[in-house]
Amino acid sequence: MNIFKDFSATLAVALCILAAPAQAQSQDQSQVQSQDQAQDQAQAGARDDRAQVLGSWYRMILELVRHTPTYSPPVASRAFAYTALIAYEATASGSDRLQSLTGQVAAVPMPPLREDGLAYDEDVILNTALAHAVDVYFSNTGPTGQRAKAALTKQLDALTAEGTDPDTLARSQAYGAALAEAIIAASADDGGAVVENLGFPMTYTLGGEPQDWVPTSLVQLQQAPLLPAWGQNRPFTLPDGEACPLPPPPAYSEDPGSEFYKQAMEVYDTSRSLTDEQKIIARFWSDDPMLSPTPPGHWVSIIFEIAERDALPVEDRVNALVRLGMAVSDGFIVNWRDKYRYDLLRPVTYIRRVIDPKWEPLLITPPFPEYPSGHSTQSGAVAQVLTATFGTPFPFTDSTHEADGLAPRDFPDFWTAAREAGISRLYGGIHFRAAIDLGLDQGACVGDHVNALKTWK
Amino acid sequence: MRRALLLLALAAAAPARAQDPAIPSFAEETAPAGFTHAFTGEWEFMVGGGIAVFDCNGDTRPDIFAAGGTAPAALFVNDSAPAGPLAFTPTPSGLEETSVSGAYPLDIDGDGILDLALLRVGQDRLMRGLGDCRFEDASAAWGFDGLDLWSTAFAATWEQGASLPTLAIGTYIDRAQEAFPWGNCTPNHLYRPKTDGSGYDAPLPLTPGFCALSILFTDWDRQGTPDLRVSNDREYYKGGQEQLWHVEPGQPPRLFTEAEGWQRLRIWGMGIAQEDLNFDGFPEFFLTSMADNKLQTLAEIPPQGAPLPRYRDIALKSGVTAHRPYTGGDLRPSTAWHAQFGDVNNDGLPDLYVVKGNVWAMPDFAEDDPNNLLLQRPDGTFLESGDRSGVASMAQGRGGALVDLNADGLLDMIALNRNEPAQIWRNTTASPANWIALDLSLPGPNRNAIGAWIELRRPDGRIHSREVQVGGGHVGGILVPQHFGLGPATSAEIRILWPDGTAGDWQTLAANAVWRLEPGRAPVAVTAPN
Repeated sequence: MNIFKDFSATLAVALCILAAPAQAQSQDQSQVQSQDQAQDQAQAGARDDRAQVLGSWYRMILELVRHTPTYSPPVASRAFAYTALIAYEATASGSDRLQSLTGQVAAVPMPPLREDGLAYDEDVILNTALAHAVDVYFSNTGPTGQRAKAALTKQLDALTAEGTDPDTLARSQAYGAALAEAIIAASADDGGAVVENLGFPMTYTLGGEPQDWVPTSLVQLQQAPLLPAWGQNRPFTLPDGEACPLPPPPAYSEDPGSEFYKQAMEVYDTSRSLTDEQKIIARFWSDDPMLSPTPPGHWVSIIFEIAERDALPVEDRVNALVRLGMAVSDGFIVNWRDKYRYDLLRPVTYIRRVIDPKWEPLLITPPFPEYPSGHSTQSGAVAQVLTATFGTPFPFTDSTHEADGLAPRDFPDFWTAAREAGISRLYGGIHFRAAIDLGLDQGACVGDHVNALKTWK
Repeated sequence: MRRALLLLALAAAAPARAQDPAIPSFAEETAPAGFTHAFTGEWEFMVGGGIAVFDCNGDTRPDIFAAGGTAPAALFVNDSAPAGPLAFTPTPSGLEETSVSGAYPLDIDGDGILDLALLRVGQDRLMRGLGDCRFEDASAAWGFDGLDLWSTAFAATWEQGASLPTLAIGTYIDRAQEAFPWGNCTPNHLYRPKTDGSGYDAPLPLTPGFCALSILFTDWDRQGTPDLRVSNDREYYKGGQEQLWHVEPGQPPRLFTEAEGWQRLRIWGMGIAQEDLNFDGFPEFFLTSMADNKLQTLAEIPPQGAPLPRYRDIALKSGVTAHRPYTGGDLRPSTAWHAQFGDVNNDGLPDLYVVKGNVWAMPDFAEDDPNNLLLQRPDGTFLESGDRSGVASMAQGRGGALVDLNADGLLDMIALNRNEPAQIWRNTTASPANWIALDLSLPGPNRNAIGAWIELRRPDGRIHSREVQVGGGHVGGILVPQHFGLGPATSAEIRILWPDGTAGDWQTLAANAVWRLEPGRAPVAVTAPN
């Protein structure tokens, strides 16, 4: 199931409706509107296409993340967080169910005020705000991405403007733009706004100790590690930069009796006896930059698959997205802080040095320190947040990589999926167990901070 | 005990080494040579811009065909005097098509006059050479269905016993997918001749297609039957990777599998260049990409039997990552397109020319992205010389060629740029080094001996092997006598392994001449040794 293709199909149907006679429009609208949308019609004075607008833009940004080289997982997490924040605030500004995060999250300034007694169109506000968000947070995309954004903007502008009087349209566009621009301005100094050289520093001094990270890639840019200062970025929900700390990893040792050696041997032995299922799991959660929507995008994809299956109201969608966005973004900040605090070497380095010089892991080893596992931290944070949002057990299907030929996987709850994401890194030969287990714990801690936010009125 | 700190000065220039090669010198002669052309266009022409170089009028001087994108393609007839300045005349030829992305010369019908495969954003065409640089569209006559796709890659081979070449055409994105083009790569196609030789069968889709930007028939394992190497642009595919197809006579093509040793590689594949760099008889492959160009060498060559298609990436250790501009101050990562090996200083070691240019205002990548001219050292590493050689063009490069345009034995250089003027440089190196060029010829079909291997014994006894091919590069190729630098040697010991598997005799030929070689006949000097 490709739920985002469904958005396109729906968009195409809706655009056909716009061109069709009014009688046909009335009949067909019922086919493209979910139940929740109907609930909000009275508020907007027109049909509610917000779920469709949201889904279409998110389908676009999942592609842009995949196809724009800037978007390593930490950078992607920040872009997802701010985009979701703008979608959330745009929706909350006209909702009697959601409340603004102003005052709870530093990145959210006071929203612009709506003029009393004047009409606003919620579709237009959300669409305009998202278009601004995508323009800024996905600006580095290439000619195809720019062309695609322009095409989608045109389609969604036509869809949301239909039936809206010019004054309301202009007022709503201005409001959506102002709301987005306020958040965009507030995000400029969080430390992550400028990413140069795809995130790889031009010069870097390696630690030089046996336990320290060394390059594992034959790509020249990756002879320095990715985003060494990312852990100093301003988080959304954490009280300070020292939140959710982790203990050091097992002490480095080449002694066969040591815990470090034991954990390395676990990676090595596992790699030599991988089952087909373990290989599938490793590849399913590999989520490589430029070849997938990255780990945070993988979870965004899951959210939309659930939202479509359960026909979630748009408020529920943006609530889940904003929580997820802040969870992955803050997760990567603390995770990156500890990666560079402990600067641990990767399994491929240790195993070739100590155990088997010809060893090859299943997955491509990422170009940055090992401990803790980034996917584990961010997946743990998401699981903690989505469990609080949707409950547990909560069975769902994950079809994120169907277009890449990887079959959907079913999960009984979010933590089962997160734990599978974590252990996939051991199957793939790119993380030791400590990085996974403690990374998941760190993620839960981050998730608790996100869960403390109040979004429902 | 703390080890010494390792400082990665990633942008620092490499120090000179005692064995650094002689730096060639080039002079840009674009304007005085009359080479006025540009490859133009927006999204559908962000890739492409290929050049074909071949002799279309039988005067032994290579002429230039340049794709034009939205502008008409153009043919430039070579008027250069031997060892003189470059001189070209744009000439009406019947090739003035628009929407041309690139072209490859080959003698399809075996009449001794080179034809041209035109790749287009739209229907491809096979243009029959009529002599005197005139061409006519022979697509219908040869039963060639050019389809209506975005064609971006080409290769040809003569399968055993065939009277026409088997053609492979690579394609890019489904142009109809405006908002969501990703995951919408169209299939590549294989055109095989009908068994009676009267023309081509319907194109055979090579599915899945992963947005190919370069393809090449290559006998990479030296088993006598070329396979089809495909370099794909990961920007657009889903579930894709680089590909290698078995193309065996009479059999449907099939992909090499992991069980056969194929290793998954996913890059922004844009161009393929092949050369036996380490003189072991097996070719290395340079694959252009964006900041992660690859130089592949076989991981293992067994004492007997075929090697597995498993490669090591030696770009980093060889100094050919060419991952960022080396001059000009824009340090963002590079974007590489056409690549070609050639010995520009005639020292006997193949060098590497890489054409660079931003895709189209991609902010993550360098705008001022100079072309590379990487000179090989005796130890197999390379030295960047583009700036010192005078060819560090900052234009938005796409296609290119290294070819001797003025019969002085020195490889000249062409770059076709997108939305900017094309460029041409004359190699003005004052060098005592010698060279030889070999023009292979066969009677009947496959007049240019595509698929033959040239072996040249080096002074150290090692054999430099080169396959005669049509394909690779970035949407353009050359079909001219095969050039080798000889260093101080005044003769070359060579032999030809012809496409049917027969081996010619080792023979010694005088340096500094173009020699025509046919099986069973004495070599003929096309140009006298000087």
